[in-house]
Order: sequence, then C-alpha cells, then structure tokens
Amino acid sequence: MTGAAELRVADLHAGYVPGHPILRGVTIAARPGRVTVVLGPNGAGKSTMLRALAGYLSPLSGSISLGGTDITRLPSFRHIEEGIAFLPQGRSTFPDLTVGENIELGGWPLRGNHVRLRQALDRVFARYPTLAPLRDRPAGSLSGGQQRAVEIARLLMADPRVLLIDEPSVGLAPNIARQMYQELEAFRDEGRTILLVDQDVRSAIRIADYVYVLTSGKNDIEGDRSAFEGDLGTMVRRWLGV
Amino acid sequence: MVSTALQIVADGLLLGMIYAVVGLGLSLLLGIMGIINVAHSAFIMLGAFFTLGMLEALHVDPIFSFALAVPLFFAVGALVFRLIIVRMERAEQNQGLVAMFGLMVLIENVGTIFWTTNTRVVTVAYSNVQLKLGLVSVPAVRVIAGALAAALIAAFWLFLNRSLIGRAIRAMAQNQDAAAAIGINVTRLSLVMFGLGIASAGAAGVVIAMVFPFAPQTQIEWLSWAFLIVILGGFGRVENTLAAGLLTGLIQTIATALMPFDYVYLLLYVALASVLVLRREGLRGVVRRTI
Repeated sequence: MTGAAELRVADLHAGYVPGHPILRGVTIAARPGRVTVVLGPNGAGKSTMLRALAGYLSPLSGSISLGGTDITRLPSFRHIEEGIAFLPQGRSTFPDLTVGENIELGGWPLRGNHVRLRQALDRVFARYPTLAPLRDRPAGSLSGGQQRAVEIARLLMADPRVLLIDEPSVGLAPNIARQMYQELEAFRDEGRTILLVDQDVRSAIRIADYVYVLTSGKNDIEGDRSAFEGDLGTMVRRWLGV
Repeated sequence: MVSTALQIVADGLLLGMIYAVVGLGLSLLLGIMGIINVAHSAFIMLGAFFTLGMLEALHVDPIFSFALAVPLFFAVGALVFRLIIVRMERAEQNQGLVAMFGLMVLIENVGTIFWTTNTRVVTVAYSNVQLKLGLVSVPAVRVIAGALAAALIAAFWLFLNRSLIGRAIRAMAQNQDAAAAIGINVTRLSLVMFGLGIASAGAAGVVIAMVFPFAPQTQIEWLSWAFLIVILGGFGRVENTLAAGLLTGLIQTIATALMPFDYVYLLLYVALASVLVLRREGLRGVVRRTI
C-alpha cells in the first residue's frame, strides 16, 4: 500500500437515464484508517454512488478526488492503479477460472513484474490459508462464503489503499458475514480507507467510525457511530415511513 | 480391412482438423464476446484468396502465407472492431448481427468483382504427393494443412489457458464489471480477442485454399460448416471446438465409406438436430450481449 489518502465526494450528481438523476448532490469524505458507512433506504442511491466512485458511471456534475487528485472521470479499469478497489454487490468471481487463477488476476496491475506478482500471491495465500487447498478448483464450484473469500483475496493482490464495498453480507451465512465484517475492521486497522454501503444497518454501524445517511439521492443526516447506535429503530422506521 | 479402417480414420481426422480450425474463431467470438460473427466465413474466403494471390503474384508457399495471414488478419480484425463493433456495443440488440451480415455480403460481392465467381485451386509442388505412413496413405497437402490447423488450435488453447492475458480475456467474458475492477481494460482486450477471431478465420482460409477448391460465393458453405461445429461443440472453448471438428470429420469419412454420398449430410444434420434437442441450449445461452 502506497500512501493513505482521503476520498472526497463533492456535490455529486449521477444517473443512468438522461433527465433522471439518481444522485442529486451527495457530499461525503472517507478517511484513511476509518470505516465510513453509507446507509439509506432502498433507492436512496447508495449503490449508484459506489458505482460512480468506481468509475462505472460518469457523473453529471460534482467531483470525486483521492488525496487531492481529481478522479471524477477516471475509467473503471484505471481505479486499481490509483489504489481504489471495488467489491461489487453479489458474486463477482470468475466462475470458470480456478481459485488460483482468480486470485492471480487480482495482480493484473503487477503483470509486468513477475517477482512482485509472485510475492503478492504468497502474501495473500499466507493471509488466507484456507484458500490454499482450493487453489485448483473452479471458483464457481465453491460455496458463497468461500467465493467471497476468493473475492477478498483477489482484491488484496493489488494492495489497495481504498476499498469500496457494496453490501458485503448479502447471501452469506451469519457466521461468514461476521467474519467478513471482522476482516473489514482488519483492513481499517492496516490504515486503509473503507467506504461501506450496506443494508445490514446494525452490522455496518457496529464497525463504523463515521456514518452518512442518504435519502432520495441527497445527504440526510451524518455523524459518529455513537450518534447512531442508540437510535437505530427510529431511523429505520422513518425510512419505512411508519 | 484394418488398413481400410485406419485409412478412413486418418482421412477423417485430417478433415476434422480443417473443420475445427474453420469453427474456431466463430466459437471463440460467440463464447467469449457474445458476438455472432456471420462475416466469419467471408474472412475465411479472403484468407483463401490471400493464399492464391501470394502464390500467383509472389510465389509465396501457402505455409508462409499461413504465418503471414495471422498478423495480417489480426490487423483487419482490429480495424473492424474499431469501425463496427465498438459502435454496435452501444446500439440496439440485433443491430450487431445485421451489421456483420452486411459486412459478409459486402466482402463476398467485392470478392466477386475482383475475382469473379470462377472456382480456383491452389496448386503447389506437393499438391499431388501421397505420404505412406504404415498402412495408410494420405495426401501430403492434407497432412501439412492438418498440422498447420493443429498448431493454430494449440496456440489458441495455450494462449487462453496458460497466459495471464488469455485468462484475463476469459475473466472478462465471465464478469465484465469485476474484470474492470481489477484493472482489466475491457475495450482493449476485446479488440485483441476480436482480432484473434478474425486472424483464425484468415488462417483457416489458407488451410482451406490448400485443400479445397474455392470461389467468393463458397464462403457461405463454410459458414454453415462453422456453425455446425459451434453447435456440436458449444462455444468459447478451444478443446470442445477441436473435438467437434474431429467428430464431424470422422462422421463424414465413415459415413462416406458406408453409404451413398447423399446420405452423409443427412447423417450430419441428424447429429446436429440431436445435439440441439438433447442440450436444448442452442445459441440461447449466448444472447447475453448479442452483437
């Protein structure tokens, strides 16, 4: 990891269909060594924001910057060079490739340097020893939890300084989901910047350092974890309109 | 008896290698990129006339033309990708298919203007040489053509399965967003893959020119052969395309030995229909991003 950096989003507008923006002025900051959580009801634009940050969606206006460098219009495949890794919602392994091939591809930015690629592979397999015996199996043949582990291992190959994570626990068994959140805390303790979008409000707030709430594509409330811990029920009820 | 059987198998395998190389590019572009490249056979035809032109004008042996065809047709494929495919990715569903069909018609007609509809053959020093290998006797030119096809198929398999770029191309086929997230430039690798698909078509054209008579309009027959191989073997996997090609070659030579010629095609199309019925997959699995 080279140099921690703060991710800043300022007055972001973005959408898929012209004339119908989903994000209508989102401003957030995610700092190194912190877990920044973005919550909000369905359709608030959380995933859209993450996709815009990861370069899959070109913003209509506003800006995105990392450590002072403007990355607003950086194409998706250039983000990992800047140290930004994205874990999309749902399965994202390459099912027909083996576990080893999946993880090795995470080192695509290192492809010119065989020694570093090898070192990164050794480092990642040392960190997740349970993946070693699965190395030659097609990723698609693994359980949901194991595939998630492959995705995390693949993501770590490039040693990112920023992690954009979308709904990490969807479809996972409760104990695997718990491990997933523990791993996110470990990444935070290594000084990485974590931006987490989640529907699992309780789990997300438990590891959050700072929380933003979006509603209808705009900032709603924000604050430290302590400001949210007590009053979750009220917030969720308000989203549901009851 | 044994020698007759061996002869049939040898002929079938050599013919099958040619079928496999004819189906290769169509299968890969369909399976990896979701592109039904109906202009595939038009590029095969161009490869055949390239072979003829190199031989007649510059006295270049088809074996060298084969080596030249790969980079040349890769460049042609890259150009087609930039001019047509990139635009089609943003267009409505079936427009890509229509565009490739248009390209096929264009190439065939321009071919007819240049080369007329006369049937051509490529004749070289080894065209009439028979090789005796134990009990079987095979034309040298078919052995050379089969070997070139085998080399190309092996190279494609190694590239897609053993190189990091090849794996990245397969990864891109399986999950484009995830591929971009790990830094893979999907547009660039798509260009590489499309170029390789057309390169294999050009190279297949050289192989065909060595073995069969050809004319601009015969390309459509090669398209149906290529589709037969792709449907039998499925798409996107080099080894399956090879197996389908060899099987088709064997069915054809065995059937030719046992029954009147007319029934051979019937048998092949029964095999095709059976596969479609049994697998029920057809071309549907691919119409993910049909262009």
